This record gives sequence, C-alpha cells and structure tokens, in this order.
Amino acid sequence: MAAAAFERRVLRRAAEHHYLRVRLELPDGGARPNAAQFKQLVVTALRELHGEVGAALPVDVLTYEEKTLSAILRVISSGLVKLWSALTLLGFYQNRRCAFRVLQVKPCGAGWLPPDVSSGSKLGRLPKPTAFS
Amino acid sequence: MAGFADLNLPQGLDKKSLQSLLDTAAHLGYSAVALNHVIDFKEKKQEIAKPVSPSELFPSLPIVQGTSKRIKVLTRLTLIVSDPSHCNLLRSTSANIRLYDIIAVFPKTEKLFHIACTTLDVDLVCINVTEKLPFYFRRPPVNMAIDRGIYFELLYTPAIKDSTMRRYTISNAISLMQICKGKNIVISSAAERPLELRGPYDVANLGLLFGLSEGEAKAAVSTNCRAAMLHGETRKSACGVVYTVKKPRKVEEEETAVPACKKAKTQA
Repeated sequence: MAAAAFERRVLRRAAEHHYLRVRLELPDGGARPNAAQFKQLVVTALRELHGEVGAALPVDVLTYEEKTLSAILRVISSGLVKLWSALTLLGFYQNRRCAFRVLQVKPCGAGWLPPDVSSGSKLGRLPKPTAFS
Repeated sequence: MAGFADLNLPQGLDKKSLQSLLDTAAHLGYSAVALNHVIDFKEKKQEIAKPVSPSELFPSLPIVQGTSKRIKVLTRLTLIVSDPSHCNLLRSTSANIRLYDIIAVFPKTEKLFHIACTTLDVDLVCINVTEKLPFYFRRPPVNMAIDRGIYFELLYTPAIKDSTMRRYTISNAISLMQICKGKNIVISSAAERPLELRGPYDVANLGLLFGLSEGEAKAAVSTNCRAAMLHGETRKSACGVVYTVKKPRKVEEEETAVPACKKAKTQA
C-alpha cells in the first residue's frame, strides 16, 4: 500500500502552471474572508507589489476552505515569483495583520486536487476552478 | 547543507512575545536565530550591557520543524554609528563586546560605511531599508568587505509594514546588488510579531525580487548566515575555528578493501 502512495511523474517540458498550497494566518477573532474576498485579497496583494500588470496575472483559486483558511492557487509559471513575493509581502487584511504561509509549491497539481480536476490537466484541458475566480 | 537562520530578532520585547516569536521561527523551519541588541550612539550614555544568555531566558527551546534538534539562539549586537569617534569602541578590546556572538554596524554616512567595510572588526554591515540611501555604494569598500568575509544585511519586515518602505527596501537592495553582484548578502527579518515572520523559502523568493539569482537568494538565508556566524566565532579565538565531526565507520567497506579475487589467491 505504501508503495502505491507514490506516483512518478515526468514533465517533458517546463510546466505551464505552478500550484501553491497556502494558508492565511489571521489574529484570533475578527472577520474571515470568504472565497470571493480571498481571491480579492490575492489580487490586492499582487496589485500592491506589481501594479496593474501584477493584478492582471492569471491566478486561480482552485480550492478554498474557509474553516482552515487554506487554499490551493494556480498560476502560470512565469508569474510564480511575482505571486509568491506578493503573498510574502502582504501584511494586512482589513487593517489587521495577517501572513500568508506558503506550505508547498509544485509544478503539478496531482495529489492535492480531486481526481477529475487534476486529470483534466493531463489531457491538456485546463481544470475548471472550483472556487470563485 | 547549512540550516536556515534569521540573524535579527529584536531583544527589547517582553519574554512572552519573544517566546512566541521563537516558536514561530522554529515552526517555519529556522534552525538558528540571533537576538539583536541595538545601541544608538546618538543617545547619551549608552552602556554596552552583557548579552542575556538565551539558556537563562528560555529554559526549553522549541524544536525546529522537520528535524529533531532544538533551535539555536545566538546573541547579536548592533551599533548604530553616525560619527567616526563611535568606532573607537569597536577597536578597543571592550570585554562586553567580545561576549556577543555576532557584531553588526549600521553606518549612517558614506565615510562610516567605508570604515566599516575596510577596517572594523565586524560580521555584518546593515543596509538602511527604511529611507532613501543617503549615499551611493562604491565598489572599493564593497569589494574589500567581500574579501574580508563581511556580509551585508537587508531587512524585510519594514517592507511588509509599509508600502513606502517597501519601495525603499527594493530600490536600496537593487542598488546594492549592482555593486556587490549578489555576493555576501544576508536577508533577515527584524520581526516584532510572529505574523511578521516569513518562512525561509518565502524570504529566498523575495531575494529574487531584489535581483539575486536563485542560488544566491537561497544562500542569503542559509549558507551566508552560517558564514557570518562562524566569522563571529573566529573573533573569540586566535585565528580560526575548526569543527570535527565523528563519522560513523563503515565496517563492510574495510572488509572489502581487498578484492574478492585477490583474497582467494592469497588464501590459496
């Protein structure tokens, strides 16, 4: 069983997208963003650091869990550094301190996403963002 | 591989918030942090106190995530110098200064930056990230500092707090990179709250934004910090530090030192 838990994937060329597993840390109490506000927060962070070009970066929130404030983001590979640095330098949510913890970054979404979403990317179709985007 | 380190946690906090900072740093994967004691010579009568010993302050240190070791806590002294006379203190063999693990200077003028890079016995030179640079970096002192094994420190917490400071942080960092070409850079936090700390890989990614290459950015939070720590350690000894590590002996390797075919021949 343990052997079957691993799957080897070979990428023949640079991956089109990168996937980030992130968690938003907020001080206890106070408003928690819903999926739409979360996406808004990501775009705000991008606009703050990289301006309109950053805000125009194709970023999708694939899953978002309001209870744990964790999300899976997908971004085109050329914009990974921009997105990551924007998340790092985000310090406030609604005038209260917050921090994005980037838990994992990888060039393939398999393993995190439900099979229908991740297998979609294997066929060359783009997986449909499940949460608001 | 050298572990990740954050060489700047302010010491002036109360014990409880310092403990939560340490817990967060360990959780994020930093294997060493330095408690920073800042002395500004502008204010009169600044005595250099003895460093607080971390073992007294924290009886049990948190365990670094992903390892089984406890986080290492060092002491660091930062001198803010705005006049050449302040440097005399560093030249004199003051007993209390020797007790700190790392010594950093924050030069306010170009002349002092030159002195700090070329003559002072320090480990880190802090780069101002909260305002526009009062001077331009010049190549000779920076090259000299790189040769002497002195590292330049950039802070990222001001960039999280305020968008104006973020602009200065990035612009000052880029102008430094033009001169030092990404060598001898250390990126550290100066975070006062756990929510201002960022993980080591996030900080390395931030280094890309400052104009470092991927390898240099990762070195800025790992190997360069270790080198600065060792540079500080050499100050306490005559000329250098050597570590010996006991290596587990491989038994089977010795047995097969003589190839099997030769063994058979000698036996026969």
